[in-house]
Amino acid sequence: MKVSLSWLKELVNYNWSPQELADRLSLKSIGVKEVNDNFIELDLTYNRGDLLSLRGVAREVAAISGTQIKFGNLPNPKQNLPEVSVKIENPKLAPVYCVAKIENLKVEKSSDSWIKKLADSGIRTVNNIADITNLIMLEYGQPMHAFDGKKVQNEEIIVRNAKKNETVQTLDGKNRILTTSDLLITDSQGILGLAGVMGAKNSEVSNSTNTILLEAAIFDPVTIRKTSMNHGLYSEAGKRFQHRLTKTNLLNAFAEVIRIYGDQGGKLTAISLVGDFIENPKTIILNYDRLNNLIGASIPKNEVESALNNLGFEVNSNDQGWEVRPPNWRLDIQIEEDLVEEVARIYGYEKIETKPLSLENAEPLDQSIPNLILSLKQKLKNIGLTEVETYSFYSSQVIENLNLNKKSLVKIANPITTETEYLRDFIWPNLIEVVDKNIKSDFSDIAIFEIGKVYSPKKEDLPIEEFRVSIALMNDTDNPITELEAIIDSLKITKPSGKLGDLALFHPTRRTKNSAEVHPRILNKFAITKRVAVFEINLEKSL
Amino acid sequence: MREELSQIIQTYLAKIKQAKTQNELGEIYLELFGKNGEITKIPKQFPQLSIEEKKIIAPLFTRTKLELEKAVEESKEKILEEGYKKLNLEKLDPKGQIKKRQGHLHPSTQFKKEIVDLFQKLGFQEIFAPHVEWDKYNFEDLNIPKDHPSRDMWDTLYVDTSRLEIDPGSMLLRTHTSNFWPRLMSKGKTPICAMSFDRCFRYEAVDARHAHTFNQFEIAIVGEKGKFISMANLKYLSDYLLKGILGKEAKSRFRPKYYPFVEPGVGIDCLCVFCHGKGCKICSGIGWFEIAGAGLIHPNVLSATGIDPKEHNGLAWGFGPDRMLMLKHSIEDIRYFLEGDLKFLQSY
Repeated sequence: MKVSLSWLKELVNYNWSPQELADRLSLKSIGVKEVNDNFIELDLTYNRGDLLSLRGVAREVAAISGTQIKFGNLPNPKQNLPEVSVKIENPKLAPVYCVAKIENLKVEKSSDSWIKKLADSGIRTVNNIADITNLIMLEYGQPMHAFDGKKVQNEEIIVRNAKKNETVQTLDGKNRILTTSDLLITDSQGILGLAGVMGAKNSEVSNSTNTILLEAAIFDPVTIRKTSMNHGLYSEAGKRFQHRLTKTNLLNAFAEVIRIYGDQGGKLTAISLVGDFIENPKTIILNYDRLNNLIGASIPKNEVESALNNLGFEVNSNDQGWEVRPPNWRLDIQIEEDLVEEVARIYGYEKIETKPLSLENAEPLDQSIPNLILSLKQKLKNIGLTEVETYSFYSSQVIENLNLNKKSLVKIANPITTETEYLRDFIWPNLIEVVDKNIKSDFSDIAIFEIGKVYSPKKEDLPIEEFRVSIALMNDTDNPITELEAIIDSLKITKPSGKLGDLALFHPTRRTKNSAEVHPRILNKFAITKRVAVFEINLEKSL
Repeated sequence: MREELSQIIQTYLAKIKQAKTQNELGEIYLELFGKNGEITKIPKQFPQLSIEEKKIIAPLFTRTKLELEKAVEESKEKILEEGYKKLNLEKLDPKGQIKKRQGHLHPSTQFKKEIVDLFQKLGFQEIFAPHVEWDKYNFEDLNIPKDHPSRDMWDTLYVDTSRLEIDPGSMLLRTHTSNFWPRLMSKGKTPICAMSFDRCFRYEAVDARHAHTFNQFEIAIVGEKGKFISMANLKYLSDYLLKGILGKEAKSRFRPKYYPFVEPGVGIDCLCVFCHGKGCKICSGIGWFEIAGAGLIHPNVLSATGIDPKEHNGLAWGFGPDRMLMLKHSIEDIRYFLEGDLKFLQSY
């Protein structure tokens, strides 16, 4: 999220340079991706939904700088006016829904100060009507959506799930086929928009719009996420719904947006606030000893209290510690450990002294495989081989040249390219590719090995993964297997286990159970004219 | 010109058929398609032809060219296949001598050895977990529920399970080595003191700094009943590793960072060993570079694996050794690690 610095100054009294602000935030609060004179860009985190708003950032800056925020709660926007009819089929999916009818608007260019705020935030100006909703979203984190009031039939809003195969044309001009998990905003006639994701074309605000129905709601984050993903629609609003919103903040934002539309000449003529707006604050017990034990320091009680107070937490001390009430905007605070983190970061991680850890009686783990791998690697190196590591995939070249049966391979459902579509079930074909590559860079002697995993599919279960040891040898002779056999012999493998694959891939006579010269027909497909011998065994079963 | 073409085709088809070796065939190919080859010469005469003539000659030329190319290809295959028949005459000879060569371990193996040795001294033991994993062990048990936006932190490669009678989306290539925690923890034996240095996968377009296949090193500790593991312990382990691999002056600092499987969660910066904190190109002028992620294991992770978070807690620390190796040895392209370039591998 890009935070406009001049805007932030309107909301909190801090006295840091942009760079200082960025440094403090990254040490105490959240990572910073970019900083310049106009804005700082924060790293998105998936817990701190409150930092997707200027007000949230202002509160955080106030807490870490010991300064004051310059805003408070606004009065409830409810007024004694007619209501817009709102019907919500499933309140779980739209726990609160607010709508305001604003008339007498005139579409105009936004003021320069609005345009600057939007530009700092990375958003282009459209016109005053649309810009207001974006400005409110940026400052409060609460998305808003304006429907053209004239295009909503009977001024009636129904929030319901889509029917199977229902279709809608969204604002981007695309026709979309809906599924029953999509949540819709509709009137009695048709669809006005995909809730929280994108409006419908037919209810779009245009240059001639003078009446809007303005929506501010909280929708089920999972529903919004599914609709976004299914339709490939990712927006700033959708992101905020997914990070969850709060009722108190919604009411503040709604009161403010109505006020701003009023400044623009708009007249509020109807308003509905549907749903239960009462917040249910959580109380979390913070135990003083546990806090210090988890941090590994002795933080004075008053510092714990001031850290939490600065962040807006209500703190009541008791014998063992405190009863803590997180502020309504901190939905990420759920358990005691979350409070421990809050105290630790505000107290300062730099003040925590290191403490050695004694770990004597841990449950033993079987170390035979890792030890075996390491000692075998060492042995192969000492014999004069070079260790390579290749991908766990077969390249499309390997699959084609070896004419592999794809059905017997583990297949990736969403490969990045054809080079990551199938997992290897042998290592040696990948070593042939390495031999080829290095022949092309003028190596005339190639003795390489890899120890790694191969994968073969299993019904109703994870694939079978096994460690293999594989060697490839191109020693510029017409008969590399004789040297390869000597190498294998020196490894003293007690019970070599595993196969090499389809016999057609190998020399008709120069092969044993676990080693073979690769058939020149195969090598020719890689444009290798030298003879190459390979070896491969199952590590665990062989040694 | 039409005659000329039919002359070429008659002469050369016969010649191609009679070729017995790749060398002979190569010579014939040059006679036809070389710089002054019979076929190469033909189009040079096209400008002298009338439009009418060209309409007839040009397609004829193309057909002739293709026919000859095909014949060369077929003859090549035939000669090769003849050669392959002779393979039956070769035999499996007794084993020979091993040539003297300088062996090399992959830089990742050397680095792994260094790190594993360091942590073995503290009592850590190595563990492997599957590369192909259930969603449960890679995500759900690690406090990353389905449909949670934090899933976007990992671009995941999923296994096509349509032939396996398994729900789509439930099997994937692990995105981190952390799948070993729930696998180990759910065995119900504590304390745990384990480490893993192994391969992980992400859906990532490959370039000099990004790889879809990479290594992760990770430790996880679950303490004895009633004995706390702290952030101060975590700091000790961070400094221990950084000093161990980068030298005595290395030191770590914590920054708040969100990972769903730890709480508190921290990003770990290392004091830039190149400029000693003054700020240089490698640390982008900051004096520190981000190296690892860590934290105290989230109580939800412990609960998911059947460990009571009231009685036990733990810590975890993980980082990408490939990046660290690149810094250590000024390696500019991450692809060097898995693409088998011997010039690169034999310089270590």
